[in-house]
Amino acid sequence: MPQLSINGQSYFTDSPPDSPLLWVIREDLRLTGTKFGCGGGYCGSCTVHINGQPVRSCMVKLGDVDSNAVITTIEGLDPSDAHPVQRAWIEHEVPQCGYCQSGQIMQAAALLAVNPNPTTDEIVQHMNGNLCRCATYSRMVTAIHRAAQLAKEA
Amino acid sequence: MGDMKTPQQGMTRRDFLVRSTVVAGSGFLSIGLPGLASKDAAAAGTAAFTPSIWFTMTPDGKTTMHIVKAEMGQHIGTGLAQVIADELEVKWADVRLDTPLESVANFAVYGLAYTVNSGSITTEFDRIARAGAAGRMALIEAGAKVLGVDAGGCYAKDSRVVQKSTGKSVTYGEILQKVTIDKKFAYPADFKSIALKSRDQYSLIGKSVASLDVPAKTNGKAKYGIDVFLPNMVYGALVIPRTRYSSKVVSVDDSEAKKIPGFIKAVKIEEAMGKCTGWVVAIADKYPTAVKAAKVLKVKYDAGPYAALDTPALLAQYKDLAKNEKESAAWVLEGDVDKGFSEAEKTLEMEYTTDMICHATMEPLNCTVQMTNGEWHVHIGTQSTSFARMTLTGYLATVLKKKPEDLKVFVHQYLVGGGFGGKQDYDDILAAAWCVKEVGRPVKLIHTRESNFATSFARTPTYHKLKAGIRDGKLVSMNQDIVCGWMGARFGVGKKYGSDWLQLDSVDGKSQDIDQWSIGGSDHWYEVKNHRVRAWNHETTTWAVQASALRTVSNSYNIFVVESFMDEVAHAAGRDPLEFRLSMLNGKGGNRGIPNTGYPPGTPSDYYMDRLWISLPWASENSWPSYESATVGGALRLANCLRVAAGKAGWGTRRLPPNTGLGIAVTAAEERQSPTWVAGIAEVTVDPATGSYSINRLTIAMDPGIVVNPKNVDAQIRGSALWGASQIMSERLTLKNGGFEQSNFHQYQPIRLAQVPEIDVTIIASDHHPSGVGEPASTIVAPAVANAIYNAVGARVRHMPIAPEAVLEAIKKAKA
Repeated sequence: MPQLSINGQSYFTDSPPDSPLLWVIREDLRLTGTKFGCGGGYCGSCTVHINGQPVRSCMVKLGDVDSNAVITTIEGLDPSDAHPVQRAWIEHEVPQCGYCQSGQIMQAAALLAVNPNPTTDEIVQHMNGNLCRCATYSRMVTAIHRAAQLAKEA
Repeated sequence: MGDMKTPQQGMTRRDFLVRSTVVAGSGFLSIGLPGLASKDAAAAGTAAFTPSIWFTMTPDGKTTMHIVKAEMGQHIGTGLAQVIADELEVKWADVRLDTPLESVANFAVYGLAYTVNSGSITTEFDRIARAGAAGRMALIEAGAKVLGVDAGGCYAKDSRVVQKSTGKSVTYGEILQKVTIDKKFAYPADFKSIALKSRDQYSLIGKSVASLDVPAKTNGKAKYGIDVFLPNMVYGALVIPRTRYSSKVVSVDDSEAKKIPGFIKAVKIEEAMGKCTGWVVAIADKYPTAVKAAKVLKVKYDAGPYAALDTPALLAQYKDLAKNEKESAAWVLEGDVDKGFSEAEKTLEMEYTTDMICHATMEPLNCTVQMTNGEWHVHIGTQSTSFARMTLTGYLATVLKKKPEDLKVFVHQYLVGGGFGGKQDYDDILAAAWCVKEVGRPVKLIHTRESNFATSFARTPTYHKLKAGIRDGKLVSMNQDIVCGWMGARFGVGKKYGSDWLQLDSVDGKSQDIDQWSIGGSDHWYEVKNHRVRAWNHETTTWAVQASALRTVSNSYNIFVVESFMDEVAHAAGRDPLEFRLSMLNGKGGNRGIPNTGYPPGTPSDYYMDRLWISLPWASENSWPSYESATVGGALRLANCLRVAAGKAGWGTRRLPPNTGLGIAVTAAEERQSPTWVAGIAEVTVDPATGSYSINRLTIAMDPGIVVNPKNVDAQIRGSALWGASQIMSERLTLKNGGFEQSNFHQYQPIRLAQVPEIDVTIIASDHHPSGVGEPASTIVAPAVANAIYNAVGARVRHMPIAPEAVLEAIKKAKA
């Protein structure tokens, strides 16, 4: 039975190896913060971190996940849900319907992890693959700049 | 929407009852309706308590606001709670929200749970403010009793009742623990005793308090319909029928699916009420397995009557239909249009067309249904739990051959991952319920993105013919003919279906149906002496594409058409488009709005608002104290917005780079009876070699009356403006062989971050009754951009979306 390390915990699943990781995370392990949007890698709602990299979990087959892979979902981004991106998201009230926001936050957190001081152009380039139908885009950009600032203050 | 024939059922009470019971040292204050109060009385003496309609206050001072409006991005729970809390004088930190379960019993208590038309604040504001104030008045009386002082010398603030002269005070919680409150506000006399705050007394209304739904949306804890789990449940994935509507399943071959471990059954959905035509659902123990099985099920269809239809064919039929003037239904008829044309010095005739788009909510349609102990439970994020319940009840009654009253149906509401009008159809619930019957286990039905697109409820394509008569540089006569698929028929409304709810009568003496939701927006606020709008329903479209409401409904195409054409007329008349518009936005005649006394019976407002805003349960009796109509001020408020936006955008004062232009548009969406005044200016740069264009900047000014939460209003304006940009730049849904051609976000492309223009928002908070903010700004972008393109390069586009190829063609035409 495949074993996964997610948010520092071990999980087992009886899903077949060709199952998209997204559905294992959501429906088997019930970490429902990771959302299904398109199933084709077009929208980014299902973004998680695998070894720190932002990955579309709908495009990753369970069988292709290395047993040593460190997977982080929105639930495990910060032990107190207070990652600078999360704090900035609340401060600027980014979410509207909120459905895509876990993916947006994971995508943004991955950017700040490698680029603590991104320019607006870098933010746009990095976030452009994540759709938001409510179009909360400009607040996201503001909030990512703010998160960069918060990360430095910490 | 569902079965809309009996919206008023069970909602005839109109008195307020404020009461608390003191039970073993704890009391609860509720405010609600007499019918409920009797239930309260029955519950007295026990700790159990049935929550009442607007809010429940507990002895720890916490107040829970019961919100029946769907939370789908507008932070509506927070906005409504701000209004109640302001009048109730309860501490904001003590405010909580919950969502009542939808059931027959609760429907009678809470009324219709339906979130639509940007109407929540508009329709709820007055009555929830009164509910809050009634609670405050009762608490002041009771608090004075506890303090042993005269209530007249007391006021309430921060969940306390305070004696003015001494500063002696008691908390709301203490009051509930010590005395019983039983106060009735009878209609109509006592209603006059409810003194609502004046605007300068507001402490929460007008403040950008943090929205209560936001934190859970940043950490994965927010629960949407798709996040539901029930014991023993299985998953369903839909096999996409060939055509959008009316195909029939001839046979299902599941031999390949049976080889997949975990596959349970292929269920052919029992059709009833014209829903779920040609649907087969693959059931499996896990969702990916269900999807895999759905892909290998071999379903043979009778493709039905719409199998050959495509978008160009529809538009051709529209043009033909519009030639038949006798069959039109007139909905605006002022002056003598034909005489106006004959007296004009110059006439201008143009055709406009618009393509379909769809909602494409980020959360695909889904629902989970369970049948247990004879009760049907639906778990879903939907725009109407009430219509969901009614529709499923009707379906089950038909397919199970039972009496509706013998069916127990409950709908549990969750967060809605994007609505935009796309979550007010219930086919998925019906299908899931049928699957539950077939497999005897709870079923979670989730659309793949592909099946979600294939079963879209589309905005109808449209065809418009416009004619203007110009004399002395003035627009003296205007005609607009509109052909499209009206959505009313799909919801069983219209004379033909035995229900005239939501339908207006034509004004041409023929008393034909007019579906306002399909025509609205053409009834603009410009003074034009002779003005006519005629409409034709292309019912084939209604069914073939399952025409539905999509953010601003018909305004989303009609504002594009009207505002583009107004620009054409201005140029033809040799006038500046800003000055031309302002001269006609003069608030004269019918464009003055309805005076402050509320809307009198017999006016169109009365009809539409009463019929549509059934969450005003007393309105049909004409008994609710009239509140100010959102139309007050009329076109003058629109002119004011236009001056602000034009001024901020530098209309006529800025030097623009080459191939760059500004374009104007105004709107009073959503409906003429519930306008929100918005003006927008787009700055656009066009590449004349390719026709591609970029929107550099949108300048938007909105007067929505009282602004409850400015930060949320700002978010709604920006989001809806980008929705407007999205629908012209890259979204396009097309029909081919009776089915939609686009299947996922690589083909159907909502706006992305890199395409986002700068947006300058001005909110003109006026003293008037608040109107909706979630949609109107989306309508001005298309015409403002089209007009800016014209001003940039002299090319006129008359089709939406605005494709670069169409711009290029128009550039060539302009040069020729």
